[in-house]
Amino acid sequence: MGDPIICPVCGKKAKTGSAIDCARHMFGTGDKPHRQWVDAQGLSFIDLLIEQATTPGNKSYELLAEYIEKDAQKKAAEKKG
Amino acid sequence: MEKKKLRLTVNKQEYEVYINPKALLVEVIRDEIGLTGTKRGCDTVSCGTCTLMINGMSVKSCSILAMQAEGAEITTIEGLEDNGKLAPIQKAFIDHGSYQCGFCAPGMIMSAQALLNENPHPTEWEIREGIEGNICRCTGYNSIVRAIDATAKGAYKEDRS
Amino acid sequence: MNKYTVINPPSDFKVINTHVHNIDGVAKVTGRATYTFDVKLPNMLYGKILRSPHPHAKILNIDYNKALQLRGVIGVATGKDTLGVKQGIWRRYQDLCDEQILPVDKVRYIGEPVAAVAAITEEIAEQALNLIDIDYEVLPAVYEPMEAIKKDAPEIHEGFERNINVTRHIEWGDVEEAFEEAEYIREDWFKCGGQAHMCMETRAAVSDYTPDGKLTIYHSNQSPYYMQGLMAGVLGMREGDIRIISTYVGGGFGGKFELDGAIFCSAVLSKKLFRPVKIVFTREEDFIATKRRTPMFYYVRTGVKKDGTFCAREAKVFTNGGAYTGMGATALYLTGFFHSFPYRWPGYRYDGYRVYTNTLPSTSMRGFGAPQAMWCSEQQIEWIAADLGLDPIDMRRKNSHYEGYEVPGQATIASCGIDQCYDEIKKWIASKGKLPPNRSIGLSACGFMSGGIFNWFDTPYSFSSAVVTINQDGTVELHVGAQEIGQGSNTTMAIICAETLGVKIEDIKVHSGDTDHCPPDLGAWGSRQTLMSGNAVKMAAEDAKKQLLEFAYAQSGLNIVYDLDIKDRWVHAIARPERGYDYGELVKKALRGKDGQRIVGRGYYTPHRKGMISPAYSYMLQGVEVEVDEETGKIKLVDTMTAHDCGQPINHLGLIGQLEGAFSMAAGYGYLEYMPYEDGKLMNPNLVDYKMIRATEMPPANIAEIDTYEPEGPYGAKEAGEGLTNPTAAAIGNALFHRFGIQLKECPIRPEMILNGLKEKAGQDKAAGKDKPGKKK
Repeated sequence: MGDPIICPVCGKKAKTGSAIDCARHMFGTGDKPHRQWVDAQGLSFIDLLIEQATTPGNKSYELLAEYIEKDAQKKAAEKKG
Repeated sequence: MEKKKLRLTVNKQEYEVYINPKALLVEVIRDEIGLTGTKRGCDTVSCGTCTLMINGMSVKSCSILAMQAEGAEITTIEGLEDNGKLAPIQKAFIDHGSYQCGFCAPGMIMSAQALLNENPHPTEWEIREGIEGNICRCTGYNSIVRAIDATAKGAYKEDRS
Repeated sequence: MNKYTVINPPSDFKVINTHVHNIDGVAKVTGRATYTFDVKLPNMLYGKILRSPHPHAKILNIDYNKALQLRGVIGVATGKDTLGVKQGIWRRYQDLCDEQILPVDKVRYIGEPVAAVAAITEEIAEQALNLIDIDYEVLPAVYEPMEAIKKDAPEIHEGFERNINVTRHIEWGDVEEAFEEAEYIREDWFKCGGQAHMCMETRAAVSDYTPDGKLTIYHSNQSPYYMQGLMAGVLGMREGDIRIISTYVGGGFGGKFELDGAIFCSAVLSKKLFRPVKIVFTREEDFIATKRRTPMFYYVRTGVKKDGTFCAREAKVFTNGGAYTGMGATALYLTGFFHSFPYRWPGYRYDGYRVYTNTLPSTSMRGFGAPQAMWCSEQQIEWIAADLGLDPIDMRRKNSHYEGYEVPGQATIASCGIDQCYDEIKKWIASKGKLPPNRSIGLSACGFMSGGIFNWFDTPYSFSSAVVTINQDGTVELHVGAQEIGQGSNTTMAIICAETLGVKIEDIKVHSGDTDHCPPDLGAWGSRQTLMSGNAVKMAAEDAKKQLLEFAYAQSGLNIVYDLDIKDRWVHAIARPERGYDYGELVKKALRGKDGQRIVGRGYYTPHRKGMISPAYSYMLQGVEVEVDEETGKIKLVDTMTAHDCGQPINHLGLIGQLEGAFSMAAGYGYLEYMPYEDGKLMNPNLVDYKMIRATEMPPANIAEIDTYEPEGPYGAKEAGEGLTNPTAAAIGNALFHRFGIQLKECPIRPEMILNGLKEKAGQDKAAGKDKPGKKK
């Protein structure tokens, strides 16, 4: 575990500060800046949303959480270096 | 179309009006004679809010032309009370909470009164059949049935002493 | 901190929960009640609306010159006569304010208003509609949410990718882990239909704009304050220059607290022509052009232990939003929340998506998304109980809410009588003994809110306010913003006022339905008025009583430890009730003491820090006995029992009426009120083909009222009347499941669905050994 994750778009710490809570926050907000960040990672915000709605499980949130985690690690590494 | 003269007896009062011969009775009652207690809720003779009595029988006033009612005794909701004294069925409705928004109430009360005119001691099923033509969206009908039943059993008989 | 004091109510109420007559009785049973439908003003014109025949089209040109030439036509209005404001009731979220009512650029559903004519008679206005020429560029349309989210679907609102209008997410617990704990998992897909409000009084408005810049509108609505605020927004006027009058309203049921075509078009016409304009919808217009209950597609996955303990639930919902948002965003939220009720879920997740389509917009309707939620939840729970061989009542009971329970991150349940509800229903079932072979009983539980904590309307006012003024003869003017729509609000407020002040019900005169004279109140929706407006009334009456009693204390010479009170018009020391005097005497003394000024008490209420949804929840369990003709698939409702907890009942006759009425509407949703659409067109916009329950079809509606005390409500009261619309569809479905073993996924239930279900089941039984939908671990 590391430091709590804050949203790379709006700086909010969602709930427990886990990557998945941040993913939930991004989908929940759904405004242009958050969507653009998701799309900039090479994902499609809308397709993830539709997948979340039409298949069992939490795949979309988990996938986005992975990207958020990677991004947070990258930022932490940049800080150190 | 040229307007025609029409004499209507409503609530024991004779009215003389000039109307379009195509006018429905409900339109003449509400718009010419100005009795707005009788309502209108559909165009397919389905809802019953326009119910009044003609010669003591319940009639959906959207289903007949005004001209067809000439010479008959028309009673609307306004004609049920007697000099400020409510009819037994009206007292029953109040006592049983048999109305909520009240829009269907005039037509419902007229159907109820006509039923009791024809069948003074109806069974519960006969009561339900008697008001089958009146839709109520608010009450679920059971309080209305209770009121009619109580009226039939003499609970709100007028004091004639 | 609450600004009113809740005291332990006396157990001997003088007015509360007694056989009080509805105070609007004489007006309503004698034909004296004047609805907007009846209003006539001097110099008034009649308006008619021209509607779009296309589900999706650009408006290229509107030519109404010929219409203007028809004798008797005074004027025509189109979107060009408006400010083009996109309005909506979720004012705090500008994206969701998406409806112009008279659109400027394009139409999005069949029946949408495009132009409005005002003439000296209704007949002439109607003729004029045929003389208006409109050039449309027809666009491709889409009608189903699952089609509308496809990549190549036509865009209905600019900027809403894939036509996704609103999304909502509710979650608590570790859902994945909770599913791991489950020993039996079941997933099902459901389809919930729409429903028409079918108010007996169709939409109606009379707008009167005068040269001094003031606008008076007679309107059939559930919230005069909302209408005032919304009309000010669309017309660019000050709220204070608009007066809304809604004295008698012929039903609302959730369809009349938004702007409709009648109020909007009549106001635009009146503003243009400086004459009163009356618009009344025909029944057909009411069916095709007023928003409906939200149709929903539900996916539910539920995990439980073999002993029936609930572990996890995951729900994914698409709602058919139709062409505009309306109140659909709230329905999307509430359906997901009440889908968890009345049970404890260690892990719960809901994802809801509202999708635009080119159909009639969907919105709130009594139950607000909960009837749909219960249709799915309560049936699946019944099937799980059957799959596991468990008693459905016991399984529900062991997982139910209780007083003090916290729905994680969402709500604190301060009062809950559901446990006793189970006892009452068990008694009822037992009393029936063995049922005849063609009958069966189905159950459904649910819970519902007493008003919402949300302020998406963005009002700076208290959610409810009230003013009590005492006249010299002891009669009381009670001014409330709470709106009477038939639910008995005027009477309920009068009861609370009379009880609190200590006078008789006939001493109270209620003023409501007029923004010129009444304080603001959010209005009649979400079952909020008994709790919220009731609290405001109680506070106002307590304030007035306190001021009155000051004069009684002054002259009483009582020791400081003794209290005075007024009960039944009798001023007395609580310790010595037999000694006292008439309240009328005190009123006169107080008047003199205040220099001739009447005593005025003020009260108000806004929920603070009461969770995410509502300050209080009512609970119920309903059993419905159903008879089905196996040959025709026709359903007959035989009997019903509802065990119900609404805290402290206030309006006794009103409560019974609400329960019976809610049942009739809920039954309609369960098996009668089907709304078939074809290419965006409603196929049955009339009362011959749209099935309404009749007096001959309504069963006895027995009630067992469970007494609880809700600390947040006036005298312990909670909502009654909307929650009761929630369980019935599922209860009917469960009755059919118990008799035939068929699992119906779509409501309203039609006879052919039963017959097909029976056929399928017969086929399945033949090929025995097929996998059941549940997955055993």
